[in-house]
Amino acid sequence: MARRYDSRTTIFSPEGRLYQIEYAMEAISHAGTVLGVLATDGVVLAAEKKVTGKLLDLSVAKEGGYGGSGEKIFLLNTNVIAGVAGLTADANSLINYARSAAQRHLFSYNEDIPVEQLAQRLCDLKQGYTQFGGLRPFGVSLLYAGWDPHYQFQLYHSDPSGNYSGWKATCIGANNGTAQSLLKQEYKDTVSLEDAIGLVLRTMSKTMDSTSLSSEKLEFATLTVDPETKRPQAKIYRPAEVDALLAKHGLAKTEDTESNEMLSRDGRLVMR
Amino acid sequence: MSIMEYNGGSVLAMKGKNCVAIASDLRLGNQAMTVATNFEKVFPVTDCLYLGLAGLASDVITLRERFRFRVNMYTIKEERQIEPATFAQLVSSTLYEKRFGPYFVEPVIAGISKKTGEPFIAATDLIGCLNFAKDFVVCGTASDKLFGVAEGLWEPDLEPEDLFETISQTLMNAVDRDAFSGWGAIVHVITPEKVITRTLKARMD
Amino acid sequence: MAECSFGLIGKGYVILASDTTAGRSIVKMKEDEDKIKALGPNLIMATGGEPGDTIQFAEYVERNLRLYHIRHNHTLRPSSAAAWIRRTLADSLRSRNPYSVNLILGGYDHTTSTPNLYWIDYLGTMVDVPFAAHGYGAYFALSTLDRYHDPEAPLEEGLETLRKCVREVEKRLIVSLGKFKVKIIDRNGMREIDL
Repeated sequence: MARRYDSRTTIFSPEGRLYQIEYAMEAISHAGTVLGVLATDGVVLAAEKKVTGKLLDLSVAKEGGYGGSGEKIFLLNTNVIAGVAGLTADANSLINYARSAAQRHLFSYNEDIPVEQLAQRLCDLKQGYTQFGGLRPFGVSLLYAGWDPHYQFQLYHSDPSGNYSGWKATCIGANNGTAQSLLKQEYKDTVSLEDAIGLVLRTMSKTMDSTSLSSEKLEFATLTVDPETKRPQAKIYRPAEVDALLAKHGLAKTEDTESNEMLSRDGRLVMR
Repeated sequence: MSIMEYNGGSVLAMKGKNCVAIASDLRLGNQAMTVATNFEKVFPVTDCLYLGLAGLASDVITLRERFRFRVNMYTIKEERQIEPATFAQLVSSTLYEKRFGPYFVEPVIAGISKKTGEPFIAATDLIGCLNFAKDFVVCGTASDKLFGVAEGLWEPDLEPEDLFETISQTLMNAVDRDAFSGWGAIVHVITPEKVITRTLKARMD
Repeated sequence: MAECSFGLIGKGYVILASDTTAGRSIVKMKEDEDKIKALGPNLIMATGGEPGDTIQFAEYVERNLRLYHIRHNHTLRPSSAAAWIRRTLADSLRSRNPYSVNLILGGYDHTTSTPNLYWIDYLGTMVDVPFAAHGYGAYFALSTLDRYHDPEAPLEEGLETLRKCVREVEKRLIVSLGKFKVKIIDRNGMREIDL
């Protein structure tokens, strides 16, 4: 029965459901876990990498760029980072859209785009594919971690239907149910960034399939506000930094970091 | 009166030994009337590349915003900072896009290559004709005076502090003979390690 | 057109003042025209220029900012509103029929707890300033403000500086501009006062 309503994304089934959207969400619940926790002085994102192996060339992630391997955690703007779960190719397209949207806002209003507005922009796009065209919806859920002067630190989640919501701590991808119940038990409103990092790592190590955590399987990022400049500061950890962090929390091995061209001399990401 | 002189203002850049300097005055005028004395015309592009824009103030702001947009997209996609020579081409093509209805500005570019450490300065006219110089570049309402003073004061291989002194003296003395520029100045000296930024009090009249 | 508006910043407030005459060529048509428009709970704008354009543009801006407020549940900060207004004018300048409107924008930014003042002209030139003036009055008021303005002055002192400007314009400008309307914006919002 369902088959008659499967082929088109924009047709309701007799039960009033949009199957393609539900299938997209189902696909996401098999993707690598992405976890976000809102702290009083920052936001933490962590993600499980699925594409791994020793033949994978990660030299760019090690030396150049802004950190991360470009699989799960991305910089959207100076004040927003995002973790993606779902089809990586779809995600890349959305990331690009988000970056343009953020720059368009900066161009029009001479301010960084408010976090919720950026989430809204992407949701407007995603919603379009549930209604128009005969095209496939984006098979991607995102977690947005950001800061703006209106609501300070924020964490949002958006799904393929174009719904979005704000969270104190949440999780998308594989095992998100387990992770969320763990977070529900442990989360406190007064959690500091340091404690949130611990909470995220602990939850990740419990929910991920692999036994030991390492930079090969984990991406990690924080968003804080620079105490001197009062400007938001995104930090996507390099593989070596992830390993160092894991070691610090008693979860794995270490390596050295290297400087790179995109970071300014004080180690911040340079965008004006 | 030309539209290029409507708001007044001047920018100057100089090469030194492993360093470059770029400076502008701070005046914003409406022809002869001074409206503001805090109008900077030099903007950071990366932490070792600066862009100066002299001309119609409206276009100075618009172009600064357009270049910020383009450079931010470049930085975030390429995951590295733009090279001065690459940025110069971006400036040139952005201006030439409006060949038959141009932005009324003359840009000056000063920076150091992250790759080679080579100092770089360049300027273009309002439709993007690039001029790569090995000594100094000028633009704005005091450009003719700036040429004269710079010609006399500049010498090759100046160290950062000497370059700062040379560019400051050049700008202040040229601007004193120009009614449309002045009200203090801002100078950036870019070295491989850091950028030294100083605001100068000049003849505040 | 002999029109004139002033703006100045003090400690925690911005004052905007504008003349109230509306005329055509040599004829005075009206002497209680309000040229200072409230654009939101924390933003006001004094307009001057081509008579039709000023009202049309002020309303266009007001409605757009209101729409932003409704859509996003918070108002634009003064600096962002100013940037948007500037861009609108800069785009308009290169359109088929541009707006001829000069503006002074005053606002209070609750995120930073600071008063803001912007001088904007019909070309899309924008600069944030401690004091501003448009129109013929600017030629007299700017020098007065240069001498007496203090960005840390309490309200009464700021108003006294403004009175000096108005007196100077009344004394030296060849045409009479009539009464001035004065509006203040601070952390409590906007209010109108008699000078």
